[in-house]
Parts: sequence; structure tokens; C-alpha cells
Amino acid sequence: MAESPKATSPLGRDEFYVGYLPVPTRLRRFLWRITPTLLVLLAGIAWILASAQRDPGAGIWNDAEAKTFVGVIDASPYPLIRVTDEAGEAVTYLLVEVGKFGGGQRAAPFAGKAVRLSGWVLERDGRRMIELEPGDTIHAAEDVRDAERFAPPRRETLGERTLRGEIVDSKCYLGAMKPGDGKTHKQCATLCIAGGIPPTFVTRDEAGRRAYYLMTNRDGGPFDERILPLVADQVEMRGSVERRGDLLIIRTDADTIRRY
Amino acid sequence: MSVGYVAVQWNRHKRVYDACVIGGILLYVGVFFSVGKALFAPPHAISDEILAIRALGTCAFLLLHVILCIGPLARLNRRFLPLLYNRRHLGVATFCVALAHAALIIGYYHGFGVVNPFVSLLTSNTNYSSLAAFPFELLGLIALAIMFLMAATSHDFWLKLFGAPAWKRLHMLVYVAYALLVAHVALGILQTQRAPWLAALVGAGVVVVASLHIAAGLRETRFDATASPLDGDDGDWVDVADVGELRENSGHVAVLGAGRRVALFRVNGRVYATTNTCAHQGGPLGEGRVIDGCVTCPWHGWQYRAHDGQSPPPFSEKIPTYRARIVGSRVQINAKALPPGTPVEPAVISEHADG
Repeated sequence: MAESPKATSPLGRDEFYVGYLPVPTRLRRFLWRITPTLLVLLAGIAWILASAQRDPGAGIWNDAEAKTFVGVIDASPYPLIRVTDEAGEAVTYLLVEVGKFGGGQRAAPFAGKAVRLSGWVLERDGRRMIELEPGDTIHAAEDVRDAERFAPPRRETLGERTLRGEIVDSKCYLGAMKPGDGKTHKQCATLCIAGGIPPTFVTRDEAGRRAYYLMTNRDGGPFDERILPLVADQVEMRGSVERRGDLLIIRTDADTIRRY
Repeated sequence: MSVGYVAVQWNRHKRVYDACVIGGILLYVGVFFSVGKALFAPPHAISDEILAIRALGTCAFLLLHVILCIGPLARLNRRFLPLLYNRRHLGVATFCVALAHAALIIGYYHGFGVVNPFVSLLTSNTNYSSLAAFPFELLGLIALAIMFLMAATSHDFWLKLFGAPAWKRLHMLVYVAYALLVAHVALGILQTQRAPWLAALVGAGVVVVASLHIAAGLRETRFDATASPLDGDDGDWVDVADVGELRENSGHVAVLGAGRRVALFRVNGRVYATTNTCAHQGGPLGEGRVIDGCVTCPWHGWQYRAHDGQSPPPFSEKIPTYRARIVGSRVQINAKALPPGTPVEPAVISEHADG
């Protein structure tokens, strides 16, 4: 007769565990040893997995303190404001609303006008954005006499290029969510771009340096929804690149974008 | 095993078990979150919500591995039976952790937008034809629904209502949930983190779970292959054991053939036979003991009287019994199971037979 398949155990022959009865002595000793060991193992795994996370980048979302800006709003292709920094250099801030919405609705009436507005700054790698403070926080700045210093910068065409990288929603990527890229962020990025957050194409060169291209349609207008299925994927696209002040813009068509 | 239903039949073991589970979950999430905060300081800080999402997600995935390993571990080494005893609470806790993970994701990634968060979850990514872009969230959502189904029906009320076989089949869906979650992880966070050793770690988890199941399964299969053929002259009687193999007040598992097993119990020089399958969750009664005159299941301690397969009053559970006889020093069992709860005369062990 074959041996019974009973589970092997160094427990005493007469020791038998029943949940509602006192735990047998040798088993209790085993449990006293194994339980702390398992808890330490659990903490160790948590430590390893937490430390294995990817650096989300140096994006900053200064949501503790709203700042006031004076500059000129441009509503095309996406709402933005041009201001001058402390050194007198022209600086561009994209404008978005709280949540996953672009800033177009509130910014449009002020297109081309000098305004004073307040909001919270997001910034990464020199790319900047303002999350507009809710309420009546954009006002015409009648006292700005030299608005021409905020005038749209000259367009510099850099030619047709084929680029590889990832389409991100600029708000999360600049610091609203960290990390704000990659597969796990795909649905959020899709929702953000659908809500009017400007799509940005982020590329990396061999040294790991990132370049940011604000994406527009071929006609220079806001990108249409055909982009959405390709958001957050590693894609290749071909388009016409131009520099507008401190912004790089790529004019392309969804038909030219493909995963690789 | 109860006369009426209560939410939880608490005892000291369950309290200690649950304290360890809750303490372990808090420890894991706390360490993950704290280490994440400490190692990724501003401006490279990971968002608190994402740290929490990852802590809860990895914790639930890890706990599911533990849950899946407990069964085969307890088959291979009975020292792990205390983990099996209250496994349902571990399952419910795992579901709660997974639910918190999902709730944070829906609120954080899908909230504050132009569409309802649940609509966004189901419609933001419809790249079903692309493996790289596949909406892995959907896999997690289906797995969560399965885990909910199991957690919601984990109480003995549902076990009784569905019957043990149907209830067990329902809860075997945990393997479907596990497969979905492995794919959820592989097509989700592993695509974001892109660290080969993390993929290897997930693979190692799958290998551990599969290996333990295969090892336990092989052990059972080999044992089932040892069935003794029916006596040609004696109808349904099967030679199953030597009297000397039976220990007083202890169970013994024997094979009747065709995958059927019988549990033998030696009590006061008499041999009783019942089905090896506990009416509760199918625990192996033959691996149990006789306590207070009752056959006691090693999984959850359900009890039956050896002579008629009935739970002692006021309980009402019943299991099939078998007729036993002793020929020489050999124990033989009539392979025709008697209806659950049928009283049966034991086989008396003579001094000669006992050797």
C-alpha cells in the first residue's frame, strides 16, 4: 500500500491544528518565528519596489502660492501669455484651467490684449505653464503702456523633420502629475488633451536631453482628436518645425504619426 | 460550521490572523510610501497619489500571490494549515486593498476631466489591437470584479446556498483573476518602468505559484494512481490499508479508484470509514483527527461523528459513510458510498489483526 499523501511536517505526531482550539506548542513556536520573518520580508519587498521606481523628472507645480503675471495673451494655437522675466527676456507660459481643461475659454476674449492674471506655475526644463486661478482672475491691464514688448515673436522655420518620442499632455508632464508620462499615464493624458490641455511632443537625444515640441495641425491650429489613440505611446512623426520665441512647434498630421 | 449565521465567528486565532494581515498591509504600504518619499525628494518627488496607487497595487498583487500559495503549501507541509484556516479574511482584505488602488486611479487619473471618470476609464483608450498600447486598466477592472464576486460570496451563507462544489468552482475564478492581473502588470507598469529585473520578478512570482501547484498536484496524482483493484470475487470491496497503518484517533486517506478517496479512522479498536471530502470546503478529512469522538477536518475544524457521518447536535451537516471490514490484517472498504449521515457498523480490530 502506498504511503498516504498527508502533508509532511515536523510537528509532533499528536499535534493537530484546529483554528478554534489552542495552537499546539511546536506549531505555535513555528508561527512565532515565521510571522515576524514574513513581515520583515514584506517590508523588504516594499522597500525594494519603492526604490526601483523611475525618476519622474524635475517638474515643479507650485500650487501653494498663486502668482500674478502681466503680459499679452495669444490664443492660437493654444492659449498662452507672454511676459518678461526679471532679466527682461520674453517668456511664454501656456495657460490651462484647474483640472483637465485647457485655458481657451477664459483666455480667448483677451487674445492680443495686455492682461493681468493670477495662477499657479508649473515648470520643467524651462517650459512653463500657468494653471489659472478660478474666478474672475484675468483682467485687462490698461496700465501696460509698452505692450509691444510682449508682441508675438518672429517665426523661424527649421524645416521638415522626422522625430521619435512621446506625445504628452503638457500640464501633467510639466509637473501636475509625477510621473506624467508613460503607459500608466496614457488614459489621463488622453483625457487631458481631449479637455484642451496642449499636446506636446517630447523627444530625447542620445545624451538624454529632452526637447519639447508644441503640436499643431498642418495649418497651425490646435491638434484634432485623431491624435488621442497615440498619446503616451512611443511614436514617430514627420512635420514642419518652427521656433516661436522660446517655443518649438511642430506642424504635423495625425496620418504621419505611427507607433514604433 | 454553525447553527445560525453571524458575520464572523470570531475566535482568538482569527483575531491574531486578521491583526497580522492588517498590520502587514499597513507595514507594506507605509514602507513603500515612506521610502518613495525619502528617495524621490523635490523637485524629483513622485506624486503622493501615485505613490499610494503603486503601494496599494503592488501590495494587492503580492497578497494574491500569498493567497494562491497557501493552498499548495498547506498540502505539502501541514505547518501552513493555520494560514489556510482564515484565508477568506486574507482574500477580503486583498480585495479591499485592490479596491482602494482602483478607486485612487479612477479619481486621480480619470477625475477632473471632460467626461465621467467611469466613462473615461472605459473609453479613453480603445487600442485593443495593439499590445503596446492595450488598455491594461480593463484587465485590472475585470480582475477586480472577480475579486469582488469572491469577497462578497466568501461567507458560509453563500457556501451553503450554492453548495460546496459550485462555490468552489466560483472561487476557482481566482486563477482567472490572477492571470488577468499578471497581464495587467505586464502591459501596464512594466511598460512604464521598463526595468528587466522587475519583469523577471513578476515572472518569478508566476513560477513560484505554478511550481507549488504542480508539486502539490503531482503528489495527489501519484497517490491516486495507487488505487487497489476491486476484488474479483467480492464485488465492491476494495483493499485499502493494513490495520497497522492506522493510528488511534487519527485519520488515514485511502484510494478507492477513479479519483475517489475514503477516510479511515481508528477509534477504540474499531475502524470507521467516511468520505474524504469535508462538506464545508472539501477539506481532506482523512488528514484530520478524532477529537471528542468526532472526525475533525484539518482545514476549518468541521466535525462529524465517525459512526454516522453526522455533525454533532445542534449542527446538521452530513457526509457519506462507507462499510468497512477487516480480512486478516487488511482493511477493506465497500466502494459503494452510503447516503450522507447513514449509520454504519465499524470493523472491529482483533488482537491478531493488529499484529
